[in-house]
Amino acid sequence: MHALSAHLKRKKGDFSLDIKVDFIQGITGVFGPSGAGKTTLMHLLVGLERPDEGYLKIEETTLVDTSTKTFEPARNRKIGYVFQEGRLFPHMTVRKNLLFAVKYIQKEKQVIEFTELVNLLELNNLLEKRPKQLSGGEKQRVAIGRALLSSPKLLLMDEPFSSLDVKLRRQIIPYLIKINRKFNIPMLVVSHDLPDLLSLTRELFLLRNGRVVGHGNYLDLLEQENMLELMRGAGLMNVIQFKVKKHDNENGLSILSNKAASEEISIEREMVLDCCQIGDEMNVSLRPEDIALTLAKIPNISIRNQLPGILTKVIQIENRNYCLVDVGFKLLVSITHASLLKMELSEGKKVWCLFKSMALQTNI
Amino acid sequence: MEHWFVFSETEMSAIGLSFKIALCCAILILPIAILMGWWLARKTFRGKSLIEGFINLPLVLPPVATGFILLLLLGTKGLIGQFIYEWLGIRIAFTYYAAVIASMIVSFPLAVRAIRLSIEMVDPGFEEAAKTLGASTFQSFIRVTLPLALPGIISGFVLSFARSLGEFGATIIFAGNISGETQTIPLALFNQIQIPGMESSAFRLLLVAVVFSFLAMSVSEYLVKKLHKRN
Repeated sequence: MHALSAHLKRKKGDFSLDIKVDFIQGITGVFGPSGAGKTTLMHLLVGLERPDEGYLKIEETTLVDTSTKTFEPARNRKIGYVFQEGRLFPHMTVRKNLLFAVKYIQKEKQVIEFTELVNLLELNNLLEKRPKQLSGGEKQRVAIGRALLSSPKLLLMDEPFSSLDVKLRRQIIPYLIKINRKFNIPMLVVSHDLPDLLSLTRELFLLRNGRVVGHGNYLDLLEQENMLELMRGAGLMNVIQFKVKKHDNENGLSILSNKAASEEISIEREMVLDCCQIGDEMNVSLRPEDIALTLAKIPNISIRNQLPGILTKVIQIENRNYCLVDVGFKLLVSITHASLLKMELSEGKKVWCLFKSMALQTNI
Repeated sequence: MEHWFVFSETEMSAIGLSFKIALCCAILILPIAILMGWWLARKTFRGKSLIEGFINLPLVLPPVATGFILLLLLGTKGLIGQFIYEWLGIRIAFTYYAAVIASMIVSFPLAVRAIRLSIEMVDPGFEEAAKTLGASTFQSFIRVTLPLALPGIISGFVLSFARSLGEFGATIIFAGNISGETQTIPLALFNQIQIPGMESSAFRLLLVAVVFSFLAMSVSEYLVKKLHKRN
């Protein structure tokens, strides 16, 4: 069953939007440059704008259908919406903001409990404060909490990272993942920042000029014609899931494993320190520019991580080459065209991917 | 000299009446002005500027002319007034009610303006947020817009109160200058100034007018500042 399925059309001046989306449980990302129609799409889904034509269904309930003149207003849709700027009510305390929606829900339909949510989002010390006394990250957490306490069937987030600096972004991501797992609420996250989005999900819709130009798993999308070009400007990133295997405190390293890969990798101990224990799963991100390719394993070198794989695809854009290497999972590697020629690389060739422990960043 | 600060019966009645009329006027105007202010702040429609112009007319029209229009409309022989008189037996012109109505008409644009501006200052995004959380348009207005626009609503209330205290032209034409019925402070003051030997009475009324107006404005300033701080 689809958590949401919709086909919506809307014309605004020169801009026209014609988007078909559907997705199931879990977190789905909507990625597109500004002006692609992301916010319009959100507004249509949540009920702040009317489509010229189309339908919208959540689970099996039809909320919009222009052919039968059905239009549920925003307040009846049960879609939680976290606005880009948070939009916390400035005249209310955090507690009152959080409880705003509770009045409109029957007690037995209340899915998420207040105390549980406050604990999860760590809002205990903020409850009596007013929005203007909060930091950007705190505001964002309160806005998420407020939307969740309306017991939504679906949570939409519009650029949840844009108002936060890099450090705060890393802090908010674990909360989002926790929410998705704990309450089992499907989430649709809109962003123009690909690395941020990838740290949450690999299921993406690519938007361009009001149309969906690509849909699916990030790595599969990369292999499709033109997709790489579309995503390139946003900062491409490898996001890989690993299991923490052991800590090597003496050398300040942690050892991670991925059952698909033949070799273990090491990462700086402090990256793992505050998030995961042995046996935990964690997401690690790695920039394509930070990976080097060689034709053989190199024994005496300071780079600790060396993974063998097969070069499956080479995509040339201008004088840069993007290589997809299957090391058990897929790695995107970016090298210059000159290197490609010099190494005589071609699809199907066996290569080694080299990257420093320091190049790995953790997302959770 | 010893009689300078002793208020006569006429003066006391003028002061009491002024206060009563001003309070009535401000209270009656408030809900209509809030509705109108919200409508003008949030809706766009054809002929909006025509309606705005009509509401603001008493601001620029000589109050005497406003009074005259009211008389033509609501007088016992007036366009509407004759029916009210014939069918319901109610006379409006030259009564206490006429004084309240005259005050309301001249104060209305001031109240609407203050309230409308403060509602315009409230980001409509907050109302959108309230709606996505399950609130109806009315509920989001009551729980979000109204409290955020409260400073403007208070100043709207005080402005109409103060304007009503000072109302003269429309009142004297439409409600007359009847002691104990429609004679407010400005009308009594007008009377006393014209009568030789009533300087002390005029002075007392003047003082009360100044103190009243000053208090009204400072209380509103204080409340508005306090609310701004809170939000």
